[in-house]
Amino acid sequence: MTSIPATLEETAAPPADLASLFAGMALIREFEDRLLELRKAGEVVGPVHPYIGQEAIAVGVCAALGDGDSVVSHYRGHGHALARGVDLNGLTAELFGRANGVCGGKAAALIGDPRRNLLMSSGIVGAGIPVAAGAAMTAQVRGDSSVAVAFFGDGALGSGVVHETLNLASVQRLPLVLVCEHNGYQAGNRTEDIYPEVSVLRIAEAHRVRAVAVDGNDVLAVAAAARSAVAAARAGEGPTFIEARTYLTKFHLQFERPSPEVRPPDELAAWLQRDPLTVALTRAAELDIHLSAEPLRAEARARVEQAVQAARSAPWPAAAEVHTHVLAGAA
Amino acid sequence: MNEVGLLDVVVQEEFDRDPTLVFLATNSPAALRGRFGADRVRICAISEQAMVGMGVGAAMSGLRPIVDLNRASFGLLTMDQLVNHAGRMHYQSGGGYRVPMVVTAATRGRQQLGPQNEQCTYGLFMQTPGLTVVVPGSLAEACGLLRTAVRWPGPVLYFVAPELNRQRGLSAALGTPPLPFGVAALLRRGDAATIVAIGGAVPVALAAAESLSNAGTDCDVLDPRTLAPLDVPAIADSVARTGRLIVVDDGPRSGAPVQILGRLAERPDALAALGGRVGFVCQPDVPVPSSPALEDLTWPTEQRIVDEVRRLLDADG
Repeated sequence: MTSIPATLEETAAPPADLASLFAGMALIREFEDRLLELRKAGEVVGPVHPYIGQEAIAVGVCAALGDGDSVVSHYRGHGHALARGVDLNGLTAELFGRANGVCGGKAAALIGDPRRNLLMSSGIVGAGIPVAAGAAMTAQVRGDSSVAVAFFGDGALGSGVVHETLNLASVQRLPLVLVCEHNGYQAGNRTEDIYPEVSVLRIAEAHRVRAVAVDGNDVLAVAAAARSAVAAARAGEGPTFIEARTYLTKFHLQFERPSPEVRPPDELAAWLQRDPLTVALTRAAELDIHLSAEPLRAEARARVEQAVQAARSAPWPAAAEVHTHVLAGAA
Repeated sequence: MNEVGLLDVVVQEEFDRDPTLVFLATNSPAALRGRFGADRVRICAISEQAMVGMGVGAAMSGLRPIVDLNRASFGLLTMDQLVNHAGRMHYQSGGGYRVPMVVTAATRGRQQLGPQNEQCTYGLFMQTPGLTVVVPGSLAEACGLLRTAVRWPGPVLYFVAPELNRQRGLSAALGTPPLPFGVAALLRRGDAATIVAIGGAVPVALAAAESLSNAGTDCDVLDPRTLAPLDVPAIADSVARTGRLIVVDDGPRSGAPVQILGRLAERPDALAALGGRVGFVCQPDVPVPSSPALEDLTWPTEQRIVDEVRRLLDADG
């Protein structure tokens, strides 16, 4: 299978789009920065897996989707949720473990939201990928031309079920978009230390799944690749695997303290120069689009702070809720 | 469903009724595929985890998948999807999502498939909240409970004993309406002891109870039909009356049998009535050996059940 290069035409999104894409990324960045502070202060439930540095992928991919499409995320999923349009207040309250969280406080970061067809944010690496394939199967059986997207990291490629799903999706021509956020780390390990081959595209190609590599820090490039993949899926041409190369600029997770990981300073500095928000501003300049970063970031910051204040004063779930929604047939 | 062909007919009838039903298996029935097409009846590579995972996603997005895993042993490959996804998503989404899927598998028969592929794994799933566990004790129950399973709003694990395929009365069985989950069937009535029998052991327990009855000892025979939810009140009421409990199962003692006993702790009157008069006639906690000479020692038989009831009766002195 050949990769689909994003054409110049496709990468040149309409000017209005870049501003809204930037706003989407700014919201995630401000949210994640604030979450790390709140986790340190013990206000947020569970671990925080920061998405900082990868915002262009969630925002670029979700910009290519319609309301009827399905999304499957994982534990590093706040960015996907926000890009998908999950309510900021509901998400924040959920991370505070409060009753008005999108999942009633039962999920924390592992949310699902039927209002946005966000099926799940699985805490099991790789396990959400067949679930997205199942949603793609639903679209295929119904013939409604919707698609399903699975977000996952390069770490998921060590999981057997991912390879099983690539095979089934390929042979059944499922309308599925597989978004591999290749950030170079698998929990505390560097991918090159535990994987035999740097090119992850070859894994998809081995299953005869169309594979395309894209600069995961360039939101326009991601959006273009996603549009192509979604269009192919809607047209009945089966799945596409998008390798979005990016970098985990913070760390795997944080409780009171971050997980102890050391990034090579030169490598980190190089990636920070290519921060997705910075890249978007460069692209705006190249394309002669007026993009004023600071007002957008300030607006995002204000929205986040409002959500945090609301979550702080929200009630805890009632004790009876521990027993609700266990068996779907019961109360 | 390879082992009990009549269930394929049930599935066909249900496919006619509900256009959202789809079937995933490595070996889908040709008749079903011919009639309903390859979109709804899929043949998959031997990828149980992905098949069950796809079932979860399909169920969450509006279909009702039946995933046939052939043997229960293959279901062990899918524990992640069953436990972490199928059984959790209703709860984890705060009730936002449901996972109405049915996973079917055959347990064990006298087929000498050996330690790996002769297994009753349903006891494991009594410990994994969110999953409904169905184990029919007759061909009629197999049909009726399958009809309920494909209408159920949550994930159902459906374990069928190949031995049920030997039963007669196919058309009567096929006509069985949907049977309720969480309601045990009282198949015989008697005050001497309570025999709780599961799945393929139900016909054996009924034969033993009849033999005991002919000798003047009448027992309750209860078939739970679903292990989760379990009809604890029915079992506890019976035990409170008889004061003796024998659990009969094709599966290992540490699986469903001890968990049923454990659940009686919810009813102190039932535990008190037992006063230690508890017996198990089931697979001992060993893998199932292939040699018939050894395998035979791992089955609940009519004679072993009769002996166990008599032992408990004699225990009173």
